[in-house]
Amino acid sequence: MGRAIGIDLGTTNSCMAVMEGGEPKVIPSAEGERIVPSVVAMSNTGERLVGRPAKRQAIVNPENTIFSIKRLMGRKFNDPEVQRALKFLPYKVDAAPNGDARVWMGGRSYSPPEISAMILQKLKMDAEAYLGEPVTEAVITVPAYFDDAQRQATKAAGEIAGLNVLRIINEPTAASLAYGLDKQGEKIIAVYDLGGGTFDISILEIGEGTFHVRATAGDTFLGGDDFDNRIIDWLVDEFRKETGIDLRQDRVAMQRLKEAAEKAKVELSTLMQTEINLPFIAADASGPKHLVRTLTRARLEQMVADLVERTLGPCREALETAGLRPDQVDEVILVGGQTRMPLVQETVRKFFGREPHKGVNPDEVVAVGAAIQAGVLKGEVREVLLLDVTPLDLGIETLGGIMTTIIPRNTTIPTSKSQVFTTAADNQTSVEIHVLQGNRPLAKDNKSLARFILDGILPAPRGVPQIEVAFDIDANGILHVSARDKATGREQKVIVQPSTGLSSEEIERMKREAELYAEEDRRRKEEIELRNQADNLAYTAEKTLREVGDRIPAHLRGEIEDKVRRLRDALAGQDITPIRRAMDELSYTLQQAGAAVYGQQAGVGQEPPPGEGPGRGPEGTVEGEYREV
Amino acid sequence: MTEEQRAASDPAATDERAEELRSRLEEARAEAERYLNNWRRAEADLANYKRRAEQEREEMKRYANASLIINILPVLDDLERALGSLDARLAGLTWFDGIRLIARKLQAVLESAGVREIPAEGQSFDPRLHEAIHFAEGEEGKVLAVAQKGYTLHDRVLRPALVIVGKGKPAAEEGQASQQESQSNG
Repeated sequence: MGRAIGIDLGTTNSCMAVMEGGEPKVIPSAEGERIVPSVVAMSNTGERLVGRPAKRQAIVNPENTIFSIKRLMGRKFNDPEVQRALKFLPYKVDAAPNGDARVWMGGRSYSPPEISAMILQKLKMDAEAYLGEPVTEAVITVPAYFDDAQRQATKAAGEIAGLNVLRIINEPTAASLAYGLDKQGEKIIAVYDLGGGTFDISILEIGEGTFHVRATAGDTFLGGDDFDNRIIDWLVDEFRKETGIDLRQDRVAMQRLKEAAEKAKVELSTLMQTEINLPFIAADASGPKHLVRTLTRARLEQMVADLVERTLGPCREALETAGLRPDQVDEVILVGGQTRMPLVQETVRKFFGREPHKGVNPDEVVAVGAAIQAGVLKGEVREVLLLDVTPLDLGIETLGGIMTTIIPRNTTIPTSKSQVFTTAADNQTSVEIHVLQGNRPLAKDNKSLARFILDGILPAPRGVPQIEVAFDIDANGILHVSARDKATGREQKVIVQPSTGLSSEEIERMKREAELYAEEDRRRKEEIELRNQADNLAYTAEKTLREVGDRIPAHLRGEIEDKVRRLRDALAGQDITPIRRAMDELSYTLQQAGAAVYGQQAGVGQEPPPGEGPGRGPEGTVEGEYREV
Repeated sequence: MTEEQRAASDPAATDERAEELRSRLEEARAEAERYLNNWRRAEADLANYKRRAEQEREEMKRYANASLIINILPVLDDLERALGSLDARLAGLTWFDGIRLIARKLQAVLESAGVREIPAEGQSFDPRLHEAIHFAEGEEGKVLAVAQKGYTLHDRVLRPALVIVGKGKPAAEEGQASQQESQSNG
């Protein structure tokens, strides 16, 4: 069984998305773009091109490059809309025997669904490459005003492309689904869709999960391209006034102007002004000419004010058809890249008297909604499980009163984790597990949740026993802590009910304190760690003397004993500087002793130096970080 | 207890109770099935998600610089345009040689990041790499001139080369015929 995707089959561009891990995700094309131009061509060499490559050769192969096929879908050749489209379509369109419009490409005629199928086929292939599995089913969107013949034609296109069309849904409905408006009871929704070349306004009524289209209106020849052209016209005029050169005669210059105009338009959606900077745009007898202009948002808004105003006519018309006043509309959704423009958003907000939805990328919102619909139909959108997270670190106290975190904060539950610890002293037969909650590095600053003792550990040198401490939080937030001696299998557990945890106020307070004392805590923790290291070093030195002392030259042996004593004295004091100094001295002498021993006997029979485990602590404390899991 | 006794003594009640238990069992089974199904889906989702995240991380590493480079390319274009329209009076200045070296350095930096210029002039027009902006007389289907250089990053087209494509000999009927045809539609 293959995957089901959602497809926004647009007039100028198409987009597709899929549900993944319960979230809709836009699928990029093989060219790495999130939208694919709805263009198909038969190249001069007889190759079929779809999408971006087809668009790139349109200028040199106009009669075999089919774009805007959506304007012909499911229409008769004598349909006024088709006749209107003919004025700007450079490819041949005529009537099929049954009166349907059909197009010619590469010396052959094609029905509009066949052309659309080529676009869908490319989307299908790219989706399969991306997902790594077959895509067999799709939900495809159409404008709300599409009649039955146009919907049938769209469905046929999907089937020709090898897709089982689960459902044809309206573009505004898909946009509403993307915003989850189907789950909020009865509502009137206005969907304002200003794309690259067309404008659509739809008024939907939603209730009990069903969508009813109350009215649609629009302008099939108004879109973002018109906005770009206003900027280009302005630049050309300004340049002519300044230099007398008409850039329209220069295709290369016009190409640069087009790119710069679109870039400026996009930038002015977030910036108040931008610079259009095109050096060496032209040249005359006096030398090269540069085009540099600053365009402010206000100036751009003046240039396109009438275009934006033109969208309000259809809005009024649609409301009138629906028999509604603007204030009776509950939600407004923006679709199409041009709705990113602040002036458009402001105009829509004023007209309907409410803030429009605009969180989902307006170029992708329809495909996203289609993917959600596909997911619902395939049963992939399942009941939502609300998963909690742990607000604070959970851990145990280790040597020196340090909090060792086992489950860090913000971990999604249910979860479990374990870590292996060891003893802090020789022949230690029991350890105390002190369960803590909080973000502070020292145990005493955190909340104590439970304490228990694991005893019956076989006498062994420190660092040898392995005690596995496991934390498990179940779906109800109940924490189970267990400690198990790996050698004997002895185990102790405790269950901490969530009620013994913290209230939300306490959690907030603890988080605040953790930030407040971060620096001080870090210093204190460092000190404790240094003391642990010092203690461990002294222990190692004593052990070395005990085990291989006879091979160490007498003068070094005395020196080591002396320095161990000094280190222990330093440890008894408050100041850490003498501890550090005593450690340095001792490790220096130990190295000398090591060199002497190895020198005698090339390392034979030497025990590897003890691990990184810190030193001895108060009886019963678990020693930190003998980590192996 | 009394209820059980009554149930035991009344066969109809027993049947009823059995029926109820059966339907409860049915429900529980259906529920278990649903949960198991959701669990499987969650596991599958996670597996897919991990795979995709890994893929995307790889992509990210490879193409992380793409958006920055795309914005730098026009600067390189301008620099090349400046060098290309050099005035003879300036050409001899060593100061100008310095500017040329700066341009070469910028090219080297881009190259070391994996950016390659797309070969265009004299090649057969390929819409995967080239974008046609104009027709001109010349060998049909060949790129006659490059209006703006194209670049790839690794194996992806960052930006196609903007090119002028040959449409054959000036006397060729073909080009004119098709132009007339497209006009006749209007």
